[in-house]
Amino acid sequence: MARYGMVIDLKRCYGCYACMLACKVANHTPPNVFWSRILKGESGTFPNVVRQALPVLCFHCENPGCVKVCPTKATYANEDGVVVIDKNVCVGCKYCLMGCPYGARYTVKEWKSYFPEGLPLSELEEFQKNAWEEKSGCGVATKCDFCTSRRKEGKEPACVAACPANARIFGDLDDPNSEASLRIERDRGFVLKPEQGTNPKVYYLAPR
Amino acid sequence: MDSKLFGLAQTEWRWLIAIYLFLAGVGGGAHITGVVADFLGWSKVADIGVCLGWPCVLIGCMCLLGDLGQIKNAWRVTRKPDTSWIARGTIVISIFMIIGFVHTVLWVWPGSMAGTNDTARHFLGALGAFFAFGTMVYTGLLLGDAIPIPFWSTVLLPILFFVSALSTGIMAVVLVGVTFGVDQERLLALGRVDILLIVVEGLVLAAYLHGSYRIPNSRMSAEHLLRGEAAGMFWVGVGVCGLLIPLVFDALGVHGVGAVAASILGLIGGLCLRYVVLAGGAMYPMSAAGFEFRPIGRPKEPMPAIGKLPPS
Repeated sequence: MARYGMVIDLKRCYGCYACMLACKVANHTPPNVFWSRILKGESGTFPNVVRQALPVLCFHCENPGCVKVCPTKATYANEDGVVVIDKNVCVGCKYCLMGCPYGARYTVKEWKSYFPEGLPLSELEEFQKNAWEEKSGCGVATKCDFCTSRRKEGKEPACVAACPANARIFGDLDDPNSEASLRIERDRGFVLKPEQGTNPKVYYLAPR
Repeated sequence: MDSKLFGLAQTEWRWLIAIYLFLAGVGGGAHITGVVADFLGWSKVADIGVCLGWPCVLIGCMCLLGDLGQIKNAWRVTRKPDTSWIARGTIVISIFMIIGFVHTVLWVWPGSMAGTNDTARHFLGALGAFFAFGTMVYTGLLLGDAIPIPFWSTVLLPILFFVSALSTGIMAVVLVGVTFGVDQERLLALGRVDILLIVVEGLVLAAYLHGSYRIPNSRMSAEHLLRGEAAGMFWVGVGVCGLLIPLVFDALGVHGVGAVAASILGLIGGLCLRYVVLAGGAMYPMSAAGFEFRPIGRPKEPMPAIGKLPPS
């Protein structure tokens, strides 16, 4: 069985937000919900300041904090190691939003329009709302699932396909010869907040 | 939102959850007060405490249910107690409410067994007090189990919530007791116990904030309470209303309207305490290669309306 993971090369990422948008297009997430997003960091003092972008998503941890706190076992790791949510079992208690150290989870009460209040949903928004409710749903916890629907079609996750700098590599971490495994090994991939003991499957390569 | 906590603070658990945590504490505290009074033979105080306990928790549970996103799945929570503190807490709270209800029906109203069978009443009362204790501590353990939020995951939080719950429970009993004309001596005695609890609560609160301030990852949260956006509610709501005024009034031994005012302010203080602890809950930023990463923009706030609506 595969154990899917991702490598993000910070040397290549220039913070263009293409992944953030591609994720929205692929998953029809409502306003203010970003399964894949970009954080910005600064280091140094003026005038020697460097900025760095950090693309984050659900890290599909081996030992996920969200799974530990879920009172109904609605969220679990499936056989591919991808952490998913069963929307028919989730109570929407939002405890997993507190249990995830990376802020990867979102929940919304309803699919609101992107446009000012009072306007009816546009045709595209209607389509997105229906697609969202079918796949994830309102009131329940939602998050990145490594684009399950795209993987079924044999495609890479949307953020990986969209990255113009090829900063993202998606692959099977169990296969020692996959590009992802090789890059983690060769370029000393690291994970975020290792002290939380969650053991994420999304690795980063140092920016410099 | 405080600039330092922006994008890191939890925004999902707010007033409804604060009311739930508060009422679970008040209910448990009132029940324990009632049971202790029963052992002392103060029947009127005992009746008030037991009658007040489980309905408070029940109202709190309604608030919790109101906060759920998918209420139709709520029944599933009790089925897997090995998973999470929400599951365990739901079971403890349910048992507490059932015991409190049975106690009320048998010995208070309609009270078919009133005046008889002291041992059975004491036994059920003690059993209820045990689960009341569980209810009060659980509110702290619930937040404490959210390990990514360092402001919550400390041992002092359950202790703080427990002491605050006992204190507000006594205040609720005093509040109702004054209205129902309970013997003044006994209310003053309850007030004297409350002095001790308020002093302990103040010390635990100081230790909790000091500890949070000393740990780099939760310093922002402590600052949010002490001098950030929640400072007004913390100093006025928790400090003055919840601790100082009830302490002074209890120490002066006021009764009647004064006791009612002090109790109401103390209860407001208890609610404010739950709210500021929830509001201060924040993750610490991710860092890598010497950078500290924070979200930019305002991803969890409503988008501003651009221009005016077209005429329809």
